[in-house]
Amino acid sequence: MDNTGLNAMEIRNLTKRFGRFTAVDNISFHVRKGEIFGFLGANGAGKTTAMRILCGLSRPTEGEGTVAGFDINREQEKIKKHIGYMSQKFSLYPDLTVKENIRLFGGIYGLGDRKIKEKTVEMLDMLDMKDVRDTLAGCLPLGWKQKLSFSIALVHEPQIIFLDEPTGGVDPETRRRFWEMIYEASMKGITVFVTTHYMDEAEYCDRVSIMVDGRIAAMDTPGRLKEKYGAADMDEVFRIVAGRAKREE
Amino acid sequence: MWKYLIEKEFKQFFRDPGLPRMAVMFPILMILVFPFAVSMDIRNISLVVVDHSMSMESARLIETCTASGYFRLVTGCHSAAEAQKMMDDNKADAIITIDSGFGKDTGNSSGFPVGIKINTVNGTKGSLGSQYILSCIRKYLDDSGSGQGAAAGAAVQAAGTSAIPQIEVSEKYYFNEYMDYKLFMVPALIVIAITMITAFLPALNIVSEKETGTIEQINVTPVSKTAFIVCKMIPYWGIAFFILASCLLIAWAVFGYTCKGSILALFLFTTLDIVVTAGLGLLISNYSNNAQQAMFVIWFFAMIFMLMSGIFTPIASMPEWARTITYINPLRYFADAMRAIFLKGSSLADVWYDAAGLAVIGAGVVTWAISSYRKSGDA
Repeated sequence: MDNTGLNAMEIRNLTKRFGRFTAVDNISFHVRKGEIFGFLGANGAGKTTAMRILCGLSRPTEGEGTVAGFDINREQEKIKKHIGYMSQKFSLYPDLTVKENIRLFGGIYGLGDRKIKEKTVEMLDMLDMKDVRDTLAGCLPLGWKQKLSFSIALVHEPQIIFLDEPTGGVDPETRRRFWEMIYEASMKGITVFVTTHYMDEAEYCDRVSIMVDGRIAAMDTPGRLKEKYGAADMDEVFRIVAGRAKREE
Repeated sequence: MWKYLIEKEFKQFFRDPGLPRMAVMFPILMILVFPFAVSMDIRNISLVVVDHSMSMESARLIETCTASGYFRLVTGCHSAAEAQKMMDDNKADAIITIDSGFGKDTGNSSGFPVGIKINTVNGTKGSLGSQYILSCIRKYLDDSGSGQGAAAGAAVQAAGTSAIPQIEVSEKYYFNEYMDYKLFMVPALIVIAITMITAFLPALNIVSEKETGTIEQINVTPVSKTAFIVCKMIPYWGIAFFILASCLLIAWAVFGYTCKGSILALFLFTTLDIVVTAGLGLLISNYSNNAQQAMFVIWFFAMIFMLMSGIFTPIASMPEWARTITYINPLRYFADAMRAIFLKGSSLADVWYDAAGLAVIGAGVVTWAISSYRKSGDA
């Protein structure tokens, strides 16, 4: 059956080697449109490498696939136009104000001055950040920075958003509110691809995959995974699956 | 897209606590302070006179020396040993010993009764000092009557028989008539200012984006690498032109120096130099993970480039192997062209060689920089 219309991402036999080290070892998966897909794995399991390929930052050694309908080997620049990316490290410009950061990234994605103005008003309103619009982004509290990064990653209304450990280092309340934003985005039909180390967050995902030693060791909905491994929560599932890892960090 | 990136660079530049001030201070410091500091004119040479003659003539010779402005007369002493002691103690740079017969037999062929001893621990100071003393003595001889003086003048130079024909050497200096070292250094200091600014700042800027992780965020956007880098360079081009213009302005307002050639040619060479140094800065930032690394490597190259550029010491007097190295030194071409245009008024046709040198090095460095930048993006 041809699923192209339904899937935001389709990856077949993806492999990435660095010299003799195989970081990603023949993985295949697909992500449906509008889905929240949790991409789990211990440090060093190959998550980041795989994610870099999906974002068009790196080319696979072998394998093929599409992201947002574009080929991961040949159409990296087109992929970049249709995805948003937010990393665990705050990577907006700390010496630009909130408004200037929105303007810069809006401009980079080709929004145009008028559209940027509209977006800015809308975003500041939604984030409740009107009072700090002229504050340097570097001076905001961490939780605010992450909310702002997330919104800016969505400024060009991408089809897919990649979140690389988006909630690292913030308090539980802020994390909960952050996940509300993720749900809102998902409701609008944006596909969410998220990596995390918090297993309670894994429970919020529609489906999760767990990477071990460069391979996908398990992939299903959180409910079915718990059932399969006879575990009470995702934390236990993760320990059972990832505990079989042979590779050191 | 370009508009927003350039706008960002300018905002960041002017928001930086140090950079705008540095861009203003740098040319001022370079042109107002350094020409004096790096001046090779030697002054205040400590001169000791051992005068055995104590005649009118010897007094006049001493006066000629002190009047030249190069010497500072240390209290005269009366024995050669005493004078030697002063030189050993570093209190004297030069000693003139005037024999008791001075003034009476300056005309005959038995030699000139004045001895000169120079401390050459500092070679430049020593050789220039002896030149100055000789020219003072020559001046004294010229002044003290034509017949006697001319014959003695010949004696100074030839120290041989009085029968040799009289040879007059007349010197005329071209382009920098008064051998003003400051005038010679001004174009070279402009070269240093521009090179330092355009090599350090873009490289540090890119490395700092690496450190904060913002470059990663830009990499996942559709911004092309070339666009990103060119937009980064543009403000520094502006700064380099600003520095060139303000240096020329200060040199004219303070020293009265004007460019003899076309100012447009100066700007053209500056543009070529920016391509080379900015490419080099970018290349280094590709291979550096933090600011310290980049700083140190650039400093290392800047040092070599400067010392081997002919800015401070003439390339022609370097040994063969060193001269060969200077061919790959962009500063050699830039400094040579800037001096030629500024001091001699050379046209582009005269310095095409320098332009070609810069262009070739620039093409090489930029190609390398861009290809290594791609590779690092895939790591």
